[in-house]
Amino acid sequence: MVEKATKKKNRVFDYFCTEEKFSGGVAWCAGCPLELTARFIPKVLGDKMVFVGTPSCSAPVLHGQNLGSWHKLPYLACVMTGVGSSATGLTRYYQKAGIDATVVCFNGDGCSSDIGFQVLSGAAERNEKIIYITYDNEGYMNTGNQRSSSTQKGALTTTTPVGKIGKGKPTISKNLTMLMLMHRPRYMATATLSHLEDFAKKLQKAKEMVKEGFVYLHVFSPCPVGWRIDSNLSIEVCRTAVRTNYFPLWEAYDGKPRITVEVAAPKPITDFTKLMRKFSHLKENDIAAFQAEVDRRFALLKTLCDAAKAEEKTTVQS
Amino acid sequence: MKAKTVKPRVMTGNGAAAYAAMLCRPEVVASYPITPQTEVVEQLSAFKADGVLDAEMVEVEGENSAMNIVCAASIAGARVFTATSSYGLVYMYDTLLQTAGFRAPVVMVNVNRETPGIQAVSAGQQDMISTRDSGWIQIIVENDQEIIDQIIMAYRIAEDFNIQLPIMVNYDGYYLSYLAEAVQIPDQTDVDAFLAPLKKQPQRPRLVPGEARGCGTHGMEMGYVEARYKHCMALDRVKNHVDKIDKEFGEYFGRSYGGQIEEYKCADADIVIVASGSAAGTARTVIDSKRAEGLKVGLVKLRLFRPFPEERLAQALKGKKAIGVIDRSVSFGWKTGPMCTEIKSLCSKIGPVPILSYIDGLANLDINIPHIGRVIDEVAVAAKGKPYQEVTWIPMEEER
Ligand SMILES: Cc1ncc(C[n+]2csc(CCOP(=O)(O)OP(=O)(O)O)c2C)c(N)n1
Ligand code: SF4
Repeated sequence: MVEKATKKKNRVFDYFCTEEKFSGGVAWCAGCPLELTARFIPKVLGDKMVFVGTPSCSAPVLHGQNLGSWHKLPYLACVMTGVGSSATGLTRYYQKAGIDATVVCFNGDGCSSDIGFQVLSGAAERNEKIIYITYDNEGYMNTGNQRSSSTQKGALTTTTPVGKIGKGKPTISKNLTMLMLMHRPRYMATATLSHLEDFAKKLQKAKEMVKEGFVYLHVFSPCPVGWRIDSNLSIEVCRTAVRTNYFPLWEAYDGKPRITVEVAAPKPITDFTKLMRKFSHLKENDIAAFQAEVDRRFALLKTLCDAAKAEEKTTVQS
Repeated sequence: MKAKTVKPRVMTGNGAAAYAAMLCRPEVVASYPITPQTEVVEQLSAFKADGVLDAEMVEVEGENSAMNIVCAASIAGARVFTATSSYGLVYMYDTLLQTAGFRAPVVMVNVNRETPGIQAVSAGQQDMISTRDSGWIQIIVENDQEIIDQIIMAYRIAEDFNIQLPIMVNYDGYYLSYLAEAVQIPDQTDVDAFLAPLKKQPQRPRLVPGEARGCGTHGMEMGYVEARYKHCMALDRVKNHVDKIDKEFGEYFGRSYGGQIEEYKCADADIVIVASGSAAGTARTVIDSKRAEGLKVGLVKLRLFRPFPEERLAQALKGKKAIGVIDRSVSFGWKTGPMCTEIKSLCSKIGPVPILSYIDGLANLDINIPHIGRVIDEVAVAAKGKPYQEVTWIPMEEER
C-alpha cells in the first residue's frame, strides 16, 4: 500500500524537479488555470525551450509588462498574426545552425482559431518542427471576455450579450481540435490540469515527436473571471469538462486518434454548466441542444478513434 | 578595383535580384509570389533545388508569414532574405513595423507596384511610399546592375553592428523586373570578401535557447521611449554609412552610385530635376540634350528615401534657381507628390526657390523623354521668376 502511494507520487513529482521558470507575483488572475499551465509546461519541456507568444492573457506575464515579476524563458513576443510563422523562422534557423532548441508556441484560442489560424494551419501543413500549444479559455479574455470562434453556443460574452433579444453566442464553436487532426500533425493531443499525469505524458511525447515534425496540443483552460466561476473551482471545472465528455482527453499520432482517459459513465452537461454563470440564462431546450452538440462531437471523435483502430488492425494483418 | 573581372550575362531585374541574394548566402529565405516579383521566388527555389543555394527555404502561405519568418530567424541569428511587392508589402505591414522595432536586419527586395483599391497590376512607387514610416531603410535603384550591387551592399548596411535595421531595396516593377540587360555578376569569392568585415564585428544580440532573454518584451514607458530613440539615431547613422559602403563597393568592384543620392551635372546647374528609379536613366538623356541646347540643368537621383538624405540633398540643391520633382506616386492629403513634399521641407536650408511637383508614371504610364523635357522647360521658366503651376499631373494634362 505504502509502496504504491510513493510510486504514484513520484511519477508526477518527477516533472516538477526542474527549475521553476516563473517568479512569484505574476499578473494572472487568482485561480486561473493559465498560470499553472504555463508554469507546468517548461518543467516537462526542459531547458532548451524557446517560447513564442503574442498578445493574450499570457502576455502580461510572458511579455514582461510587469517589471517586478517575470520568467526566465527565452521568449519572442510577436504580433497575433505571427505566432506559427515566427516559430517557423526560429526552428528553421536553429536546425540549420545545429542549435539544440525546442520551439514552443503558446497562445489563446482566439489567436489559434481566428486571427492566427491561417498561420497555424500553414505551419502544420509544412510540418514545421514546432510544438504549438493553444490554451483554450473560449474567448478573447485579455481584451475583457469577447467571443472568439472557440466560444460555445449560448455563452455570454461582452460581444454576445444576453438581453431582450440577445441570447448569448448564436453559433456553435469552431471545432479546432478536429481541424488540426485533419492536418495530420506528427503528434497532437488534448490536455487539462485536472489530469496532470496525462498532460505530462503528452508533453513528453510532444518533446520527442517534435524532432520529426509538427506537434499540436490543445489545453482546456477555463477563465474564472470571464466564465464567472468561483476561483476555487477552476480545476473542478477542468475535471467536469472531461467527465461530461465536453472536453475529451485524446491524442493522435499521424492523424490517428485514441482516447487517453476513458470516461465510463459520462455526466450530463448540466454538471458542467452549473459550475459557471456564463450559461445561467440557458433554457431547458438550450441545454438539450448543448447536450446534443456534446454527444455529437464525442460520437465523431469515437468514430474516428474506432476507424484508426480498425486501420491499425488491417495494416498489422496485411 | 580588387574584384575579378567577369563576363557580362543577360538577365532580368528579377533574375539579377535572386542571383545577388544567393551570392550573399542567406540562411533562411521565405517569400510569397506576386506579380511582378514572382520570378525572384521561382529563381531562388530553382537555386535551392540545384544545390547552389544552401538556405532553409520556407514555401510560405502568405506575405505576413513570410515577414514573420525572416524576422524571427534574423532574431535567432540568421542572415535572411525575402522579396515582395504591392499587395504583399501592405499585407505584411504589421510585421514590417515589428521587424523594424525588433531591429532585425532583414534584407528585402520590393518590386514597386501600385497598391490595392484600384486593381492596378502595374508599376508605381505607391507601395514603398505607403510604408515609409515603418522604420525601415528604403533605397531605390535604377537598373539591373544596380539591383545586384545594392542587394550586396544592403547586407553591409542592415547587418552592421552600429545599424541593425531592416532594409528594403526597391526597383520598378515591369520596367526593371522583366527588363533583360547585360549585367556583371560578381564572383562568389569577391562577394564573400566584401561581406567579410561583418564577421569581425561584435555579435549582435540574439535569441538563444536556454538563455533568459526576450525579444519584443518590456516595452512599457521608458523602455519604449529608449528603444524608439535608439532606432531613430540608428536611422540617422544610416545616411553616412550608405555613402561609406557605396565608396567601398566602388573601390572593390569598380562601380558606385553616389550613396544616398547621385548628382548628375549638378555642380554648375541653375536648375535641378529630382527623380528616382528607372526614370532617372531617361532623365539623364534629356539633361544631356537640354545641356546641348545651352540650358544649365542637372539631375539628382534620389536613392535613399528612408532615412531622408536631408544633408546631401540640401548641399546638392542649395543655390539652384528652381527645382522640379517627379513622383511616381501620390501623397494622399497633400497636393504635391510625396518626394516633392519632403524636398520642400528643406526650404530653410536651400532657400525659398520654386519647387515644382510632377506626378507621372503611375500605373505603367511611361515617364518618357517628352515628359521630362517638359518638366525641365517649365522649371526653367519658373527659375526666371515667372508664374508656375505648383503641381502637375502630367498624364491628366495630356488627356485633355
Ligand atoms: C492584430 C491584433 N488585433 C487585436 C489585438 C487585441 N487583442 C489583444 S489580446 C486579444 C485577445 C486574444 O484572445 P486569445 O488569443 O483567445 O487569448 P486570451 O486573451 O483569451 O488569453 C486581442 C483581440 C491585438 N493585440 N492584435
Ligand atoms: S482573464 Fe481569465 S484567462 Fe485571463 S488571466 Fe484572468 S482568469 Fe485567466
